[in-house]
Amino acid sequence: MTTHATGSIPAIRSLKPLTDTSTPYISVESVRKVYHTADGDIEAVSKVDFDINSGDFVSILGPSGCGKSTLMMMMGGLETISSGRIVIGGEPVTAPRGDLGYVFQDPTLLPWNTVLENVLFPIRLRDGSTRKYHDRAQELLELVGLWEFRNKRPRQLSGGMRQRVAICRGLINDPALLLMDEPFSALDAISRDDMNAALADIWDRFHKTAIFITHSIREAVFLSDRILVMSRRPSTVCYDIRVDFPRPRRMEMQETLEFNELCGLLRKKIEEGYKVS
Amino acid sequence: MTQSQMIQPAGSSAMTVATPPVGWKLDPALRAIILPAVTAAGLIALWEAAVPLLGIPHVLLPPPSAIAVRLVQLFFPLILQHAIPTILESLIAFVISSILGVVLAGVLSSSKIVREALYPNVVFFQLIPKIALAPLFIVWFGIGSESRIAFSIFISFFPVVVATLAGLDNVDRELLRLCKALRASEWQVFRDVRIPFAIPYMFSGMKIATTFSIIGIIVGEFVTSQAGLGYLILFASAQAETELIFAAITVLCIFGLVFYGLVAMAESYLRKKLGS
Repeated sequence: MTTHATGSIPAIRSLKPLTDTSTPYISVESVRKVYHTADGDIEAVSKVDFDINSGDFVSILGPSGCGKSTLMMMMGGLETISSGRIVIGGEPVTAPRGDLGYVFQDPTLLPWNTVLENVLFPIRLRDGSTRKYHDRAQELLELVGLWEFRNKRPRQLSGGMRQRVAICRGLINDPALLLMDEPFSALDAISRDDMNAALADIWDRFHKTAIFITHSIREAVFLSDRILVMSRRPSTVCYDIRVDFPRPRRMEMQETLEFNELCGLLRKKIEEGYKVS
Repeated sequence: MTQSQMIQPAGSSAMTVATPPVGWKLDPALRAIILPAVTAAGLIALWEAAVPLLGIPHVLLPPPSAIAVRLVQLFFPLILQHAIPTILESLIAFVISSILGVVLAGVLSSSKIVREALYPNVVFFQLIPKIALAPLFIVWFGIGSESRIAFSIFISFFPVVVATLAGLDNVDRELLRLCKALRASEWQVFRDVRIPFAIPYMFSGMKIATTFSIIGIIVGEFVTSQAGLGYLILFASAQAETELIFAAITVLCIFGLVFYGLVAMAESYLRKKLGS
C-alpha cells in the first residue's frame, strides 16, 4: 500500500543537523534583513542559520509575508544582506552569480520574443550568440511539452505554459543552483498539480541543487528532499525536516498516509511558528 | 494522474446562439466606419443646403460643391505645385523630430544626472507659446525652407520625447529584476528590454508629431514663403478667394490623414513583427 521506505514520518531533525561532517554547498550564517522605511525599521528576516547540501531540493515553507522571498533574493544576490552572510560554493554572495538559475512568481517573459527566444535569453545576454544552446533549449522544451510552441509568443500561452517556459529559461545555463520564488502560486489548483509533476520530472532529469519558496505544504512535501519552515515576521527558521520519500515522485504519493501525516505535522509547525513568540 | 481525463459537458453542443433580429444590426467593425462616415456626410449635406437657404455669400462660406469644383479646376498645377513643398517639408521635419525625440529620450532615460539637469528645462521650454517664436527662426535660419523645417521640428519633437521616455521608464520592474539576476549590462537592458517595451509609446508620440509637424510648416509659411499651402491660403485670402482657401485646407486634411495613417500602419506592422 505504501512505497515509503521507513513506513513512518521521516525523522525530525533540529537546526543545522545535516552537514557538520562535510562542507555544505550553501551556508546561511546569521542572516538578517532590515528594511528602513519612513515609519521606522522593519525586520523582515531575523537571524536565519542553515546549511544546504549540494543536490538537495530544499523548500522554504511559510505563510505569506514571512520573509521567505526576501531570503531567496538575498541568496540570489538580488537583495542586500543587512547582517550575517551567505556563502555559496565557497564564495560569499554579494551580487547575482552567473551559475544560478532564477524562476520568479511571475513568469516575466519578454512579450515581444518567442518561446524559444525567451528560453535562450540568458545565453544571449551572456554570450551574444545562442547557437550552441539550441539543442539544450530543445531538450528542455521537449521535456515540458512545449517544443511545438517554440515560435509562439507568451500571450498565446496559458499561465502554466508560461511558467514552464520560465523554468526552461532558468535551467538553460545549466545552473548549479536553481532558485524558485513561489513559481506556481498564481496558477489554479489543476495547473499547479501538473506543474508539480512536471517539476519533479525535470528534477529527476537534471538533479541540481534547488531552493523552492512556497506557502503550499503539499507542494513542498511532494517536491522536496528537505523542508525549512519559517515563522512569522521577524522570521527565523523554526523547523527543519528531511523528506525521505523515494524518487521518482508520483502524484499517487499524495494519497499515502505518510504523506498526509507529514503535511499535518508541518501544518502544526507553521501554526506554532505563526503564534506570537 | 487525475487531470489527464477530458470530460465533455453534456448538452454543450445543444446550446444555440440566439440570432439577432433583422434590421439596424451591423457588424461592430463595419459600424465603427459607417457611423462616423454617415455623420460626416450628413453634416456636409447640411452645410451644402444651408448656404443657399440662409443666403450666405460664397465669399464668407462657399458650399462644399463649389469648393470641390474649385479644387478640381485648380488642382493641376496650382494647388499641387504648392502642396509639394508643404508635404516634403512636413515629412522632413517629422523624420528629424522623431529621430531627435527618440535619441533625446534615450539620453534622458540612461543618465540620471543628464535627466535631472535637462528634463525640467525641456518641460519648461514647452511652456513658451511656441508659435510666437516662429519669426525668430526666420532671423536665425533665413527665409528658406530651413527656417520652416527648424521651427516645425521645434514644435513636434517634444511629444515624441515625452511619450518615448514614458515607455523607457515604465518597463515592468519584474523584467528589470530578471535582467539584474542575469547580470545584463545597462546597454543590454536598454537594447533588449527598454526599447522594445517603449515602441508602442514611441508611436503614440510620433502620431501626435505628424499633426504638429504640419502645423509647424504651415505657420512657417504664414510668416514667410513664396510657395506652399500656407502661402496659398494667405494669397487666396488676400484675393478673397474663399473657395481656394477651403480647397487648400481640404488638401491639407487629406495629407494629414494619409500621413497619420502611414505612421499607424508602420506601427501595426512593427508591433505584429515584435508580437506585442
